[in-house]
Amino acid sequence: MATEQSETPQNPKTTPKLIESKSNGEPIFSPRFRSVAAMAGWDEEALLLASLIVEDTPERESKQRKRPDFPIKTPPPSSRRKRRAKRANPSPIPSVVLDLDEEEGTNSGQAANGVKESESKSDPVEEKKRGGGEETCTISTDTEATASFLLLLLLLFQPCLICLEICYEPSTTPCGHSFCKKCLKSAADKCGKRCPKCRQLIGNGRSCTVNTVLWNTIQLLFPQEIEARKASARDTKSREAERESSRDHSYNVRSRSIRPVMVSSRDVNMRRRRNLPSQDEDAAYAMRLQREEFMDVFRGTPQEQVGISSVSLARANLRAMASRANSLRIRNRHL
Amino acid sequence: MSISGGSGGAGGGSVGRGMSWCSTTSVSSSGKRIQKEMSEFGAYPPEDCSAGPKGDNLYQWIAAIIGPSGSPYEGAIFFLDITFPTDYPFKPPKVMFKTRIYHCNVDLDGNISLDILKDSWRPTLTISKVLIAIKSMFTEPDPYNPAVPNVAHLYLEDRAKHDKIASEWTMRFAT
Repeated sequence: MATEQSETPQNPKTTPKLIESKSNGEPIFSPRFRSVAAMAGWDEEALLLASLIVEDTPERESKQRKRPDFPIKTPPPSSRRKRRAKRANPSPIPSVVLDLDEEEGTNSGQAANGVKESESKSDPVEEKKRGGGEETCTISTDTEATASFLLLLLLLFQPCLICLEICYEPSTTPCGHSFCKKCLKSAADKCGKRCPKCRQLIGNGRSCTVNTVLWNTIQLLFPQEIEARKASARDTKSREAERESSRDHSYNVRSRSIRPVMVSSRDVNMRRRRNLPSQDEDAAYAMRLQREEFMDVFRGTPQEQVGISSVSLARANLRAMASRANSLRIRNRHL
Repeated sequence: MSISGGSGGAGGGSVGRGMSWCSTTSVSSSGKRIQKEMSEFGAYPPEDCSAGPKGDNLYQWIAAIIGPSGSPYEGAIFFLDITFPTDYPFKPPKVMFKTRIYHCNVDLDGNISLDILKDSWRPTLTISKVLIAIKSMFTEPDPYNPAVPNVAHLYLEDRAKHDKIASEWTMRFAT
């Protein structure tokens, strides 16, 4: 909603409409914003749906409320990083989009955020950082809107440039380039501790941690590809992936029992050989938990099945809202 | 921890002696990567370049580059042999000129002195980028990193004569 407010000085013509719609409690996007969104391949419905979902998420709301209130009080590292990223790329973005970006911290500019990303070809690190902020949303829904939003996001995520495939367990170098963990490891082994892309020196230990946010996003978006790769990657251990998907519950219990064990990098390797769940499975577990959590909030029921019907419900709701907003707009025009 | 099963091993099978999970990645990852590059190359080939496997072997390619206009190699077709190592994206491919060429960075056997094929190789480079680099070598030879010092010397001393000889060779061998 603050998006509209930020726009008002620029195109005063739309002001009354926007305020009208705001008082109605419906987020209507300004024409300029919509054109930008259209460039990014978003239809209005998708935008509405995405923004509605964001507003419906209470945790997110509270997080955002807090931020402007206590700007100095040692923020969590993620938010600080996010802010730094925001400060880092102010220049090349067109004015409207910049406004959206600045408001992004204080409002639910989920869609705006996505569009902005496509506008400014920000480097992968920033994308990932922003991805961190969107995690609640990303992980949470199976709606078409979020799916297309994620697709948009992932179009910006490049595939691993070493194997030219989807990043499997992506690991991000300090210089901001992401590769499959395995690819990065073997690159470090075979051609020195330099970034495979920019040849900057990278530490070995740090290069082998999985970028969880990116990994979760990728897993959510390309489950089939990931499954296929999983299957081919661990031929001998095998079947675990299938078991994971089919016997969700038992898996959860198992990985929970193992999680508290301290993990050094050597340990991970040993563990792998011994066919024990490790970092990637932890990540998957975390993702699943987050998703369940969201489902609880979103639906009030923990079953994932409900998601489908809820989507259609939300869609119908949105359609009604959109048509109401439309008629309102038309009436305004006549006045 | 050796994730690289048989690092530096020759031949596809050599990597298999490591643990099975790493051998599968190691062997098939290079194959997969080459396959990916092949399809990508087919979809978006660089200008004036073509490349593809020689026969059944995915690791043996043949490439052709058309000499760029504005250079003494204009209009001629130069053939190159590309051999991918088994740990391919991590080690550079071997690229050799099959067509004789008068160029300070290509010796008589066809070996190329190009930094990205040696020390500054990066796994993110692809064969199409390599071919583009070779193509740009036609118009901008690097006499300070020569494979044939005589030619490099002549290039620096008497450019016109160098170009004349180069186009003569091109006429003779490459058209």
